[in-house]
Amino acid sequence: MATTNGSNDLSSEMEVDAFRRLFPLRFHERHLLESIRPDGRPLGRARDTTISLGAVASANGSALAKIGCTTMLAAVKLEVMTPKAESPDEGCIAIDFHMPPICSPLVRPGRPAEAAPVITKQLTDTILSSGMIDLKELSLVSGKAAWMAYLDIYCLDADGALFDAALLSAVAAFSHLQIPVVSLNDDGRIVLISEENSGAMWEKEPVNKEKRKLKLESVPFSLTCLLHKNYILADPSDEEESIMETFLTVVLDSSFQLVSLNKPGGPGLAHTSAIQDCVGINKTESERTSEDIG
Amino acid sequence: MAGKISNTPATYTPSPTSQDKKRPSIFTGSDWVRPDGRGLHQCRPAFLRTSAVNSASGSAYAEFGNAKVIVSVFGPRESKKAMMYSDIGRLNCNVSYTSFATPIRGQASDSKDLSSMLHKALEGAIILESFPKTTVDVFALVLESGGSDLPVVISCASLALADAGIMLYDMVASVSMSCLGKNLVIDPVSEEESYQDGGLMITCMPSRNEVTQMTVTGEWSTPKIHEAMQLCLDACSKLGKIMRSCLKETVSATQE
Repeated sequence: MATTNGSNDLSSEMEVDAFRRLFPLRFHERHLLESIRPDGRPLGRARDTTISLGAVASANGSALAKIGCTTMLAAVKLEVMTPKAESPDEGCIAIDFHMPPICSPLVRPGRPAEAAPVITKQLTDTILSSGMIDLKELSLVSGKAAWMAYLDIYCLDADGALFDAALLSAVAAFSHLQIPVVSLNDDGRIVLISEENSGAMWEKEPVNKEKRKLKLESVPFSLTCLLHKNYILADPSDEEESIMETFLTVVLDSSFQLVSLNKPGGPGLAHTSAIQDCVGINKTESERTSEDIG
Repeated sequence: MAGKISNTPATYTPSPTSQDKKRPSIFTGSDWVRPDGRGLHQCRPAFLRTSAVNSASGSAYAEFGNAKVIVSVFGPRESKKAMMYSDIGRLNCNVSYTSFATPIRGQASDSKDLSSMLHKALEGAIILESFPKTTVDVFALVLESGGSDLPVVISCASLALADAGIMLYDMVASVSMSCLGKNLVIDPVSEEESYQDGGLMITCMPSRNEVTQMTVTGEWSTPKIHEAMQLCLDACSKLGKIMRSCLKETVSATQE
């Protein structure tokens, strides 16, 4: 107890910034006692979210998503592949999450961030299992050609809740995806039909006159919560993530069905009530975010 | 990355039906319009913004037409353990491309080459004596390639260094030029770069009127080089002014 008192005494004498650096945990716990966080948010409140579509012209679909300072740029590029024999009517989605050295002082060139492959795996699992995209919609010519959608997500600024922001930008990029009109030429290859003579005579009948946009069903929404003692902090910042280490990520779809629940270890144990609370916060925050984005 | 491709099926980007890969004759004529409708000696409109990345010591975002670049500066911070003692600071540069930066996925130009060019362009402008024993890291990510990527990266990096409060002799502005037949075009887009006979890039410190880097490639006549250099230097000093006003805006915005 003596040490606690000692630092409490110190806190009244020391400058706030110095105290924050020297005793980060106590600094945060003092805030939590008052049910507020250092950036002025209540505990269960996510940061403001913005999305802008079409950030990259060289991709078929792209989106920039920001949650607070965390910034993600996602882009989808479509290429043609020969579908697998066991699923001739299905396209494919390849997802890759990158943390370039610009995003955080901890990432150095040539040494990829450990978090990146973990988030790639999590994103792939979530997007493919949520049933958001019907892979049959990516089919062009049955058994011959289908779209391979390369989704690349770049973290431009890492300030906590990376998975939430990455999933948000990925969903937004797919919603912005515009599928080009293509036809099958005599060599069996898929070629683009330029937009200009779309009204005129087609040289070749396009194979995908109808399917120009993907139908997105049951859009997943993810919210990461930090569990610390009895407190639940929604949408943690980088500083909070580095101090308190038990996370719980809940992904719900648009009808609030559970898509995935992930608690990657950590010193704290999650009680059932805490999990239920996290699901509850996800519901309210997903509604608030969809209002934000409009 | 190479290992990864093997377990995904081979894919290709659909090419346009009209496969006219020949150099259009308009590029050599004198009355020809540039792909984006600019005048021959007119630069693309520049959009610059500092403090784009919160977690970096300093950062900048630059958008010149379709070329979009983000640069973060970290440090001065501890040099790598393996480094020898040094009286003056070190500069470490890295340029990378996103996989969707180019029209065909993953066909970005060699970024090792660009990293060393960026290093050489900035080295002369930084007062390395002001941070002995430590390293300043300059990391650039090209979000979308749109032609003249290196000059955009260099100018953006200089802005990011200033934003990080690293001591500089002057801002560094960079502009490139392409020679297409009889014509000189400033700030070329990718299409023009691919057809060029010769290219020239100048990086300079506008208010000191000093050139930190100049590269000339391809076929040039001496009078053409002189003309191109003058045009580039003029454009650099204009770009330098835009960069200065961008920095001033940020400062006045934070003071309010």
